[in-house]
Amino acid sequence: MLSINNLHVSIDDKQILKGLDLEVGPGELHAIMGPNGSGKSTLGYALAGREGYEVTDGSIRFDGKDLGDLEPEERAAAGLFLAFQYPVEIPGVNNAYFLRSALNAQRKARGEQEQDSMGFLKEVRESLKALKMDEALLKRAVNEGFSGGEKKRNEIVQMAVLKPKLAILDETDSGLDIDALKLVAEGINRLRDDKRSFVVITHYQRLLDYLKPDRVHVLSRGRIVESGGEELARRLEDEGYAFLEEAAEA
Amino acid sequence: MSALQQRLEAPLIDDELHAVRRRALKALMQYGFPDLKTEAWKYTSLRQLDKREAGQDPGLGDGSGSRPELPFAAAGIELRAGVSLPDGVRLEPLDADELNDLKYGGREDAFAWLNLARVEQPWCLHIERDPGLPLVLAQSTVADFTGDRHSFLRIEVAEGVNVTLIDWQQDAGAGLVNQVQTLELAPGSRLDHIVARSGAESAIIQRTEARVEAGADYRFTVLDQGGRLHRHDVMVNLLAEDARGEIDGVALIDSHQHVDFHTTIEHAVGPSNSRETFRMLADGSGVGVFNGRIHIHRGADDSHSDLNTANLLLSDSARINTKPELEIYAEEVTASHGATIGQLEDDALFYLRSRGLSSSEAASLLKRGFAGEPLERIFDEQVRDWLLTVLNTKLTSK
Repeated sequence: MLSINNLHVSIDDKQILKGLDLEVGPGELHAIMGPNGSGKSTLGYALAGREGYEVTDGSIRFDGKDLGDLEPEERAAAGLFLAFQYPVEIPGVNNAYFLRSALNAQRKARGEQEQDSMGFLKEVRESLKALKMDEALLKRAVNEGFSGGEKKRNEIVQMAVLKPKLAILDETDSGLDIDALKLVAEGINRLRDDKRSFVVITHYQRLLDYLKPDRVHVLSRGRIVESGGEELARRLEDEGYAFLEEAAEA
Repeated sequence: MSALQQRLEAPLIDDELHAVRRRALKALMQYGFPDLKTEAWKYTSLRQLDKREAGQDPGLGDGSGSRPELPFAAAGIELRAGVSLPDGVRLEPLDADELNDLKYGGREDAFAWLNLARVEQPWCLHIERDPGLPLVLAQSTVADFTGDRHSFLRIEVAEGVNVTLIDWQQDAGAGLVNQVQTLELAPGSRLDHIVARSGAESAIIQRTEARVEAGADYRFTVLDQGGRLHRHDVMVNLLAEDARGEIDGVALIDSHQHVDFHTTIEHAVGPSNSRETFRMLADGSGVGVFNGRIHIHRGADDSHSDLNTANLLLSDSARINTKPELEIYAEEVTASHGATIGQLEDDALFYLRSRGLSSSEAASLLKRGFAGEPLERIFDEQVRDWLLTVLNTKLTSK
């Protein structure tokens, strides 16, 4: 599904990712952990195609395509979704209108028929209900005046409606209380099947307890330095990242 | 001789308003036209108008002119005798007695004086009962319009009457459209005054002055889609307790266009309330000017006012001059004002694109969101939806 090879990414000529390798198969959920400043969010933005995140070496292949040549909207239409660490407020743009426009733009790009408004509303209402979000949020401007938790849950609602092949969740759990965290985890688990893949960037083991990742990776100084199963997340929770320094010194 | 000076030379219409006209022309000759040294005109040059010879007004051809296509029932108002109007609405010519006391300022009001000197027939629209549907004043010019058109309309809204008036203006020509409106809102009345303007090459110069009595509510909303030279002075006078004035405006300005709004809200008596939101979007080489003044007079205690202007520059060569002014001489007043000028935010553009919208769709959606907000407050839902559709169509077609 996702194959990242020797990825080097720089921002304003500063090298952030320095040879990152990652393979995520269909239906797999991988967690990426790592200290602040290690390049986790850069990875998310580079995958989504943000301007200014320059791939200086290496390659990203997604679902058989080289992502390097694609604009952000083309990546979205190809089935890639990034849940933002800090979802952006869009004043004056109605949440429901935005989401339906996005869905239909993707469908159009894929040569599919537009979804009618009845079907769309039904689906989005179900997602809101599952995430215990007020339906009135649909009529409000995108993320404007939403609480931190509502913004994060709104990302999951968008993901549920857009149904990507690969979702990258950038610290979607940060700032959530325990109940909201559980709702978000359930939202992710509902979408899991043997095809859809996830890359979950997180600082905390708690989310992973609900998600049961297939693989856990540690990102440090722009590279994956350690990979393992769920037990790696537990070890990080207990020991922190000090062992990385020791490994670097050794 | 410049084209503006020539306008002073033409003979006055010799009718019963002759004395009024002569007084106006005298004032105009005394003050002259504004230039860039005139404070209220320092960002708006009349050069375009001054180098253009005043030509012909070919009229409206078949006499009807363009009409807006409105998706709701409305009653059309035409400024001529013998037009059928809804019950409780009357249109009458104003006579010299009613214009004798009319006073304007100096050079900055030159076009109002010119209007009074040249207007063929001033009218008064009496709205004595709620007409039950919006009134539409449609004014348009055709492509070969190069002349001067001056119109004067007084609107009187009777006590307790609520009405929506759509002031629809469509210019296709290259002349001068110079309009003066005075609005009288009797106690407890409400006037939703909506100006929907699209321009071409004409200079459209308008003065709208409202006098708002106790408990009355004047709401002015404008969507100006840009034109060669637009200047609109909006003056709201809150004259008695609990009078309310609101101004909401959006201007879309493109290359070779200039749109200037000067607004003033006078709180003469307190408590009185006002609110103003104005947004300009300038693209290409377009220029926007906004000056919003709130003046809370001595003794207008316990009044409240909010003024906010936000602006988007969509190109490197677009310019916007925006200035909120707040003058308070009263006690126990709450007032706020703010002004911002910015560009479309990269974060927001990327967020929308990451969800599948193309770069141009994302920009269009952001512009619509930004520009739509002042129109969201229009009282009549059908009128609001219509104007938002006009706005969205304009911003999507670009």
